[in-house]
Amino acid sequence: MWNRLRRALGIDTRKSSYSFQRDPRFGHIASARVADSWVKTTCGYCSVGCGMLIGIKDGKAVAARGNPDHPVNRGKLCPKGLSEHHILDAPGRARLPLLRKDGKLVPVSWDEALDTMIEKFRAVQTQYGKDALGVIGTGQLLTEECYTLGKLVQLGFRTRNNDGNTTLCMASAVAGYKLSFGSDGPPGSYADMQHADVVLLIGANIADNHPILCHRLERDQTRTLIVADPRVTKTAMMADLHLPVKPRSDIALLNGIAHILIRDRLIDQTYIDQHTTGFAEYAAFVATFTPEHVAEVTGLTEAQILRTAHLYGRAKAAFIGWTMGVNHSTQGAATVTAINNLALITGNIGRAGAAPFSITGQCNAMGTRETGFTSSLPGYRKFDNHQDREDLARLWNIDVDTIPTARGLAYPDIIEAAVAGKVKALWFIATNPVVSFPNYSVLEQALRNVDFLVVQDGFHPTPTSDFAHLVLPAAIWGEKEGTYTNSERRISKVNAFVPPPAEARPDFDIFLSIAEKLGVREQLFPGWKTTHDAFQEWQRVSAGRMCDYSNFTWQQIEDQGGVQWGGERLYNDGIFPTPDGKAILHTVPCLPFTEQPNEEYAFILNTGRTVEHWHTRTKTAKVEMLDAMVPNAWLEMNPLDAARLELRPHDRVNVVSRRSAVKNLELRITGIVAPGQVFMPFHFSETNSNLVTLGAFDPISREPNFKQCAVRIEKLPTSLH
Amino acid sequence: MSLPLHDRALAGSDGSLVRMTLDDLGKPSFGPQIVDSLIPQRALLPDEQFRFHFNMTKCIGCRSCEIACNEQNGNPTDIRWRRIGEIEGGSYPDTQRHYLSMGCNHCLDAECVKGCPVDAYTKDPVTGIVLHSADACIGCQYCVWNCPYSVPQFNPERGVVGKCDMCHGRLTDGLEPACVNACPEAAIEIEVVNMTAWRVDYAAAESPGMPAAGHTISTTRITLPSQSSAQLERVDTGRIRPEHAHLSLVFMTTLMQAVTGALAVTLLSHTASPLFLTLLLGITAVALNISVFHLGRPAYAWRALKMWKRSWLSREVLLFGLFFLTLTTATLIAWAGILPIPALQRLQPLATNSVLQNSLGTLATLLGIAGILASAYIYLVPARPSWNMLHTPIDFLLSALLLGTTLHPVLSSVIEALITHLPLLWQFTTATSQHNSTWPVAIATLLWLTNQITRLVRLHRSPLFEQRASATLLNLPDLRAALIACFGLVAATTVLTIVGNPVLACVAATLGILLARYLFFVSVVPLNMALTFTRGGTH
Repeated sequence: MWNRLRRALGIDTRKSSYSFQRDPRFGHIASARVADSWVKTTCGYCSVGCGMLIGIKDGKAVAARGNPDHPVNRGKLCPKGLSEHHILDAPGRARLPLLRKDGKLVPVSWDEALDTMIEKFRAVQTQYGKDALGVIGTGQLLTEECYTLGKLVQLGFRTRNNDGNTTLCMASAVAGYKLSFGSDGPPGSYADMQHADVVLLIGANIADNHPILCHRLERDQTRTLIVADPRVTKTAMMADLHLPVKPRSDIALLNGIAHILIRDRLIDQTYIDQHTTGFAEYAAFVATFTPEHVAEVTGLTEAQILRTAHLYGRAKAAFIGWTMGVNHSTQGAATVTAINNLALITGNIGRAGAAPFSITGQCNAMGTRETGFTSSLPGYRKFDNHQDREDLARLWNIDVDTIPTARGLAYPDIIEAAVAGKVKALWFIATNPVVSFPNYSVLEQALRNVDFLVVQDGFHPTPTSDFAHLVLPAAIWGEKEGTYTNSERRISKVNAFVPPPAEARPDFDIFLSIAEKLGVREQLFPGWKTTHDAFQEWQRVSAGRMCDYSNFTWQQIEDQGGVQWGGERLYNDGIFPTPDGKAILHTVPCLPFTEQPNEEYAFILNTGRTVEHWHTRTKTAKVEMLDAMVPNAWLEMNPLDAARLELRPHDRVNVVSRRSAVKNLELRITGIVAPGQVFMPFHFSETNSNLVTLGAFDPISREPNFKQCAVRIEKLPTSLH
Repeated sequence: MSLPLHDRALAGSDGSLVRMTLDDLGKPSFGPQIVDSLIPQRALLPDEQFRFHFNMTKCIGCRSCEIACNEQNGNPTDIRWRRIGEIEGGSYPDTQRHYLSMGCNHCLDAECVKGCPVDAYTKDPVTGIVLHSADACIGCQYCVWNCPYSVPQFNPERGVVGKCDMCHGRLTDGLEPACVNACPEAAIEIEVVNMTAWRVDYAAAESPGMPAAGHTISTTRITLPSQSSAQLERVDTGRIRPEHAHLSLVFMTTLMQAVTGALAVTLLSHTASPLFLTLLLGITAVALNISVFHLGRPAYAWRALKMWKRSWLSREVLLFGLFFLTLTTATLIAWAGILPIPALQRLQPLATNSVLQNSLGTLATLLGIAGILASAYIYLVPARPSWNMLHTPIDFLLSALLLGTTLHPVLSSVIEALITHLPLLWQFTTATSQHNSTWPVAIATLLWLTNQITRLVRLHRSPLFEQRASATLLNLPDLRAALIACFGLVAATTVLTIVGNPVLACVAATLGILLARYLFFVSVVPLNMALTFTRGGTH
């Protein structure tokens, strides 16, 4: 009372909460941010893989800083990284195991939780077959955890229906690399962006999504940055040449560039002859992609196409980077091969500055690709390769017949199988499909259809955990120790500096407990106690593989600011992991996207991100500063369309597709988007873009086509203003 | 200023202290290098100060600077000493979109410094940084109104204002400010500027989306994109929200105007009486006490007198203070002739001196009017265009007239009622002549409404965005209803006076003017930098 009065009168100005001190390492700063010690770690948001220093005081994380010595970010962080320590004591963390009893989630012991989980899974698998269990993992786990989970699911639960949320983001890149080069693995490095004299970014808005890569593309005289994007993104504004392509015309552009390169002899015939197959067929195929035709398909001028082709063809080293504009497509894998084609026919691969480079999404999407037991066997091994299976069986000391000979269902197919009643139990780990999976209504059917749904997450409630029969509270970044691998194959150390809240446990510990209860712990994870045990086995399993982890210890990884497996770049020698050692040139037709606009649904909806938020905001919505910066979604519409529809800025609109509607979005009228197109950020569960997106998937990678669907825009009555 | 960082870096003893610079990016060497430092590498010469340089061509709008600033200063979410804004122009696909990042501009002619009633601001004689002392601050928020960039922000948790100090504490340690340190694109840096030269040519401070630099002579240099063919415009203009209502000021200004007006009327009509003066004194005491609660630190209200030579806010406090003292004296003397209190009876000779009585009354009235004008001058700030109009002082004076003419008969009736019920009081009042004062009320009403309506029309037609935006705010459903009610009430004042209901007339006038003053505060649109489409975080 006395204190409140003192504050009300202004005698007290909360001075102690606003005082400053000198941090021994980082100098003058708010006292609350002065740390006793600093722990090195790696950022847990995106795949750039920034090195961080976390300040610890009294056992709490009080400050986040870029690690000045880390080669990826040299001390810089994006706003999410700079505020990452706030997620650890954010509200909404999952704290206790919760089991649904009489329709309500109630706290239970870990024993009861895991016993129930195994009992339910067993019942389902006994009644409907092993594959009736579907597991969806994530690129948010540690590499050691991904590896452990893969073994647990495939060899412990013996279901092949195991995939990750990575299928929603980079499966197309994986598939495209495999098609062209015989294996996954981004061939280049971030440094190549600086070494290149031409950088072509396709469908990659790195300024919003990977901001700490942008400094490598600083404007200068020696490099030309070309950005192909239908939207005038922040990244497009960085470009020397912006190619405002029509949605899904990138294949035509790529083939059109190839056409000009071949026509004008700007190709590397020696490289083509020695290191590729299929050139004759490819050359004949792209012959039809004349500048005239490509201009019509892409909406670019012939001059723009010609200039791009000549810049790329004449570059001493040319780099192509892409992200979701390419991957989020029913032709994602094919588009990736079209990109690879350009790099191959000009010899722009395996050299400094020259790479076809997939910029990944999640902090450890790469780790799941390498160790995952999803679209391939650990160590980029193939399900259908007998030798690979034999290798693993020997390494694991198990019967080779227990290793499946083909991958199970991919993520979207698991969901469809659940709708069809073939998958009867689901286990989601650190992912939030209710917001992130396309065409929500189908997903909802799947979630409602299964007999048992387990959601393991660091946060609760989430829109997905609301459907759960069992919620397993997990530790998150900052509470677990292991490694992440970033887009440039750099393995970085991730450290624990605070304990998880209440009864939450590291995913690794949860997996081991499940293995124990399942009776497979000693067989699959002999003597394992910590993630380091998993790392050591993974080192043996990856030894001699392309993604070889056997040559460095955790300590070395930490000391060196991460280590790139495969070195700075792959394929220096032009030898590819295909049967004949040559890369394959594919002929890729440019098909129109599935759901074209018509009179009723006149707009093409594009979706994407904003720098302040991460994925479905389970984390960033809890960081007050980030959430306050961008508290809600909006819909971008070109002024011409807005005038035609008599819409005004900040009008509230509904976005309606054939499937459902996103309601009550704020309208932003802007020249950022082309006439006929609209854009909205996808982070917001409150205005979930996936209510309207299309359930169409790449036939090869199974990645969803998030980027284009047909919608109409309806104005809400003013009463709802 | 010494540069220990520089020294240590050159000595090679402490590599981790050296910030990334563009030249060492991506090169796998970890040795300390000083290349293109982002803070000045030499001490300031006379006539020089530090300033920010913001390179718009480098900024990618990532907002790391904003977070770094809040982390550095331990500020709550809704207070941002550094803010990001967006500007946009052109048409697809030749759309231009750029970002602004702004802390404090450490102006040469900083209005925050000039207006502060307690001298909480100093322009640091060494660095030119505009520093603010939370200890000296009383939370009057006059600087918030004065700054054309909306830089100082009031922190209700503390009761004081705060602002960007260019991380003065870091600079003196040879470290770059948090925003400079955090920017991944090296778009923000600290430079040295020659103040005399800058005063002559500050064109490099101008930018689309920024208020004109000339008013306070912002020192921030902004590098604009070279081929900006498109007209870059703000994207936050649809997000203008009503400002804080400052209810204590709504009541204080209204009541002080009423008291001054009523005092003037009573003097003119020779109806002053001890009881009348006492009632006015009571209202004044209430008004002045209410005003204190506008402050974030009411206990230190007295400090507001300090800068009377410079600050209109100090002058307002001083003049209203003197008004109160004079009115108190006049009241005491008036009672002296009547009350059987020994201390007062000594003043009795004065009480019979009608010249003195009239002089005191006139002095109080003049002080009241001067106080009202000082009040009005507080609002005549270029950073708040819809306040910064001749209509503001006119409104304050006309409000005094209208309130005075309606309040006077009511107070007189109150006194009569008191006498009726407590006949003993008869001797404490002079015989009131109940002459009907309809026409002054009517004239006051007419003038007041004319002034308000003219102001509205001028706001609506103004070439200034902020004035038009004020008109737009007043057209929001809720505010429009309040505005109509306000005009209706004021118009009703005359009608009620004519039909002989002075009490209701007074109530109508008071409510009408309170509403008008409320609208005056909430509908102001301050000058500001262009913010983001989501307007820097306000929901």
